[in-house]
Amino acid sequence: MTIATLPGAEPTIALTQPSRQGWWRRFRRRPPAVIGLAGVVIVVLVALLAPLLAHYSPTVSQFGQVLRAPLSPGHILGTDELGRDELSRLIYGSQSTLEVGVLATLLAMVVAIPIGIASGYYRGPIDMVAMRITDVVLAFPFLLIAVGLAAIFGPSLQNIIVALGVAQLPGSIRIARAEAMALREQDFVQAAIVTGVRDRVILFRHLFPNMLSPLLVQASVSIPAAILGSALLSYLGLGVQPPTPSWGNMLASAQTYLYNDPWIAIFPGIAIFLTTLSFNLLGDGLRDLFDPSMR
Amino acid sequence: MTAAVLEVENLRMEFRAPRNAGGRRVQAVRDVSLEVQEGEILGLVGETGSGKTTVGKCVVRLLRPTAGSIRFMGEDITAMPSSQLRPLRSRIQMVFQDPYSSLDPRMTVSQIVAEPLRAHGTHSRREAAGLVRRTVERVGLSQQVLDRYPNELSGGQRQRVGLARALVLEPRLLIADEPVSALDVSVRAGILNLLVDLQRTMGFSCLFITHDLSVAEFLCDRVAVMYLGEIVEVGTRDEVFGAARHPYTRSLLGAAPLADPVEQRSRQRAILPGEPPSAIDPPPGCSLNPRCPLADRRCTEEAPGPTQVSEGGHVVRCHRVQEQLDLEVARS
Repeated sequence: MTIATLPGAEPTIALTQPSRQGWWRRFRRRPPAVIGLAGVVIVVLVALLAPLLAHYSPTVSQFGQVLRAPLSPGHILGTDELGRDELSRLIYGSQSTLEVGVLATLLAMVVAIPIGIASGYYRGPIDMVAMRITDVVLAFPFLLIAVGLAAIFGPSLQNIIVALGVAQLPGSIRIARAEAMALREQDFVQAAIVTGVRDRVILFRHLFPNMLSPLLVQASVSIPAAILGSALLSYLGLGVQPPTPSWGNMLASAQTYLYNDPWIAIFPGIAIFLTTLSFNLLGDGLRDLFDPSMR
Repeated sequence: MTAAVLEVENLRMEFRAPRNAGGRRVQAVRDVSLEVQEGEILGLVGETGSGKTTVGKCVVRLLRPTAGSIRFMGEDITAMPSSQLRPLRSRIQMVFQDPYSSLDPRMTVSQIVAEPLRAHGTHSRREAAGLVRRTVERVGLSQQVLDRYPNELSGGQRQRVGLARALVLEPRLLIADEPVSALDVSVRAGILNLLVDLQRTMGFSCLFITHDLSVAEFLCDRVAVMYLGEIVEVGTRDEVFGAARHPYTRSLLGAAPLADPVEQRSRQRAILPGEPPSAIDPPPGCSLNPRCPLADRRCTEEAPGPTQVSEGGHVVRCHRVQEQLDLEVARS
């Protein structure tokens, strides 16, 4: 009553699954994603190295040099209505812009992930309550919530980070919840339950690590959304306050001079456009990378 | 008679379809009673959809049964709250069907196998590491796999890891849910032989769920045949495979091909017509009656009770078999 076994059955299978280099190779095959990554890296470097890159202070006015055109001597991108160097202001403006984008998204993730995991894993009343609240918040447009909260809290950097973070919560909660629901049905989670692993351990060791890739994708989409949001808030005067430069408040102060000196509006606009484009391209690339059906 | 490790009585498990899908109840398991004795392998055999996996999930309390009782080593675990159940979980373990989804892709083999030990905190870190190493060796894997991730392993190796995880706590009862169905035939034999060896040396009891009759015949001491959420025939391996009485068991055996083509061509086979009916509204009376060649009016009206065929515990649920036996008794 034995079933024949080949001697030394089951050859050891070679390690064919993609390693870390494999990821990079597949990522490299998507030019838009690579361009996006390059753009993101450049913006981050500019923000970090701003004091080295900028030749002028972004806040000190030179009233003899008001509204110089681009390519004028000493000011490649010209100067603004108070004679401040446009390029230096753009460089320093990247700091607050990135700060808002990254911190708002981080805040949203830190709050949303535990709520999403708990509601997706336990379902029941927790889920009901969390979902109805997100439904209510989702019924309002993202920017309307951010503007409303920023108006209530008053304009400051911290407040717009909180406002944009809160406005992003529902989307992130839903993504974490959907992942938790899918993972809960996976055999490895069921196996952990059968073995008697505590819920807390299941949530931290099995659910959370396995939802990192979709969350990373979500982050790369919500950072540009937050950047756009912060530009809007600054434009409305609810964001970063002058004289500290942000791309949004540069746009806002430029609108008075739009007819005669359009460049002081065009340059921050281009900066916002390229930065959000880079993050979006990177996000698309990451999503494709993590999506098994796209391999 | 040896003590029963697992006793399941009149187990019933219903699922309610979502309201937008009609809200009807699916009776996955309608009435299942079985026992697994100390040190035995009981095979639970049936087609897809017959409810065998649901029985397994109820036993490990991944599902809470609708009705009936489940006793593990004399203790009723049917509705035990999870805090009370946790210590018992170390003694009932499960091996899953799909070796690809049953291992966390982000954990190494040693982390996976150590998880039950960590969960129950019975061993120090060093003891645990040694135990993991020994267990991995015991299931026929080399030490090299310890730091590998599941996606670096073959299906057979993964299933060995799953087995190591289930056995590292030396459970009394192992629920094996089609552990070899997802594996290549060449690898299957290795895993089955390993399971038999481990069962002999470790002495655990096993509820082995499978749709593959040859696997059940190879492995199991006793076999229970399920059809539409009910056990239609139970007996020792020889009784079920050598002297099956229930029409369903017979057709199931007839449907499995024989290795010898001459014998295969010449034998008489009773193949049942049609498909198993839906578990949403099972037929009244005997669940097999719409397909059974022997069915008469009584079969469509009255559900057959268990009929003892032999002293040893060969039990069949069938009116026809019961009548036949009554006749034999009357003649003698």
